[in-house]
Amino acid sequence: MKIKKRFGKNSIIDGVVTHIILIAVCFVFFFPVLWLIMASFSKGGSIYDFDGFFPGSFSFNGYSRLFTDTTMYDYPNWLKNTLFIAVCSSIIGTVLVILTAYTISRFQFRSKKMLMKTALILNMFPGFMGMTAVYLLMVNFGLINKLWGLILIYSAGAPMGYLVQKGYFDTISNSIYEAARIDGAGNMKVFTKITLPLSKPIIVYTALTQFAWPWSDFILPNLLLKNKDMWTVAVGLMHLDETQFTRFAAGAIFIAVPIVILYFALSRFLVTGVSAGAVKE
Amino acid sequence: MDKKSLRKSSFPVKASALIMGSGQLMYKQWVKGLLYLLVFAATVVYMILMGAEDIVGFFTLGTEEADPWLGTSGDDSVIMLLRGLLAFFIIIAFFAVHFSNIRDILEIDKKVRAGKPVPGFVKSVSIFMDRKFYIVALILPVAGVLVFNILPIVFMILIAFTNYGGDTVPPKLVDWIGFGNFVKILSLSDIKSTFFKILAWNILWAVLSTFINYFGGLFLALLLNKKCVKGKAFWRAFPILAYAVPGFITMLAFKFMFSYGGPINYYITSAGGSAVGFLDIDAGIKAKLIGLFVNAWISIPTSMLLATGILSNMNTDLYEAASIDGASKWKQFIKITLPFVIFSTTPVLITSFIGNFNNFGIFYFLRGGLYMDGYFLASDTDLLINWLYNLSIDNNYYGIGAAVSLIIFIITSIFSLTVYVRSSAYRREDTFR
Repeated sequence: MKIKKRFGKNSIIDGVVTHIILIAVCFVFFFPVLWLIMASFSKGGSIYDFDGFFPGSFSFNGYSRLFTDTTMYDYPNWLKNTLFIAVCSSIIGTVLVILTAYTISRFQFRSKKMLMKTALILNMFPGFMGMTAVYLLMVNFGLINKLWGLILIYSAGAPMGYLVQKGYFDTISNSIYEAARIDGAGNMKVFTKITLPLSKPIIVYTALTQFAWPWSDFILPNLLLKNKDMWTVAVGLMHLDETQFTRFAAGAIFIAVPIVILYFALSRFLVTGVSAGAVKE
Repeated sequence: MDKKSLRKSSFPVKASALIMGSGQLMYKQWVKGLLYLLVFAATVVYMILMGAEDIVGFFTLGTEEADPWLGTSGDDSVIMLLRGLLAFFIIIAFFAVHFSNIRDILEIDKKVRAGKPVPGFVKSVSIFMDRKFYIVALILPVAGVLVFNILPIVFMILIAFTNYGGDTVPPKLVDWIGFGNFVKILSLSDIKSTFFKILAWNILWAVLSTFINYFGGLFLALLLNKKCVKGKAFWRAFPILAYAVPGFITMLAFKFMFSYGGPINYYITSAGGSAVGFLDIDAGIKAKLIGLFVNAWISIPTSMLLATGILSNMNTDLYEAASIDGASKWKQFIKITLPFVIFSTTPVLITSFIGNFNNFGIFYFLRGGLYMDGYFLASDTDLLINWLYNLSIDNNYYGIGAAVSLIIFIITSIFSLTVYVRSSAYRREDTFR
């Protein structure tokens, strides 16, 4: 009885301390985001109009100016470029990833081990490594300032991250395939008629992650899009200074919202996605 | 395919081994034979018209410099390097096709000798599509990776051994200089001191930030895993929110936060202090600490999600046994949780270490493009990857930049291979599960 009582008291202290730490941590994570949201509704445009973290007065000006006052900073155009790159890379990239993952998961062939090892080694080096070379190659191929250049790079790099999708295909039972083969279906037919309908969730997941990457990337656009009317949102926002702070905040919130919604919708996939490298060899 | 069996083989096989597709034509495989023959002819014509010259050009990198006075166009060394590389790729591809050609003619030969009918072109294509589905499916992904991942790496490795960059850019001629760039990095005084200063900071940064992010995430996951925490999904939403906001927005926002007009300085000045240049050129340790903090803010949610996933797979019986044995909470953590989590996350730990080692974004956004005294085109917070960017993209020192990226390659690969090999050796001992 005595022991139980002491245990109870301890656990109350423990609970209180835990919650205080939790609140502090959540505050640290939430406050910068809240600050940006508030800033996007600020009436004054410059960061000097703020009282510390808080805007002097609120209005929707930031958002409306984003889309109307486009002479200096053409946000709608940046958005259009970003959307174009992200959608195209997502479609092409998803096709390539699904094909790679399915093939590696389903088929046994001589060069498979070698392919997987190559991917593993290439994955050890961030794509950023060959950046100078990519830049020089793009200059020599005349793909600087071309949105297609970026789309090619994004979608071509996509198959390297095939492990999550392979994990999914590994779980599809072999007996379904064997039944289909006995019925005389060729590999192409098996893929289109059986695999694809069964793998809708992983296709959606792949498409969304392939979309999210170009949507929030800044390295490649910054490197390859030098022309002002080719800028993506990331490059454009990088060029805003302290006097354009409200415009920056509004522009940032505007493109962050779809991604945030997407991540929350995908949150049950997130843990598997993040730990894929840990589970698979 | 060895010589003996070739000597013994029939005439069409010999013909095909010499001229691709000719054997197939003799066996009346018209379309296939013509296609092979076309590839053969195209390669021969290419080699005669351009290929041979391109390969020579690869080694000389041009002999004639452009002369604006005489109006001669001269050689473009970089284009020659690329075309030489292309020629090598084409030769390799040619041999691959040739190999498939020999395999094909042998199969036809076997069928004809056995008196079986040889399938027509359409039929053999559909057989190929089915039996070799993996080739059909993988050809595009592999080609993409080859052109956009492997080619740049090969190109970069080659550039590291040339004097490309600085004043030596086309129309001037570029030359092979062997290990000249590496010698420069390790001997020229200002480049050398910059390199070692940056390397030391880079290693420190990678170790510190990996450590902070990893244990920060683990701590958060353990905290959220406690029984007394109700509404876990609610609490977890905040780090996930931070995780979901695109990184460049976070980094730019923090830059604004610590800028002269930013809120932090607002409170300092209104409390009577003078504005602090947190990220200025003379900021010193302040900028480094802010970098660590911003990186932690961005990365801790990821490692929290990872640790949550791992912890949920964990066997809880161990804890019960341990608490019956009277082990304290701390001891349970050190002896059970930590080894388990570290064991199952070693590969992720490697990737995250390398990611931090090459973390371009943080200091590019927070400070970007500052050049300090005592550094060659870099500042005290720049990592090797930032220096590489300054050297090659902003200042056209391509050769030295490529050498730096090769050095980064070597460091990261030695690190990850060692850890990888050691961890898989560790795994074989089956200390767990």
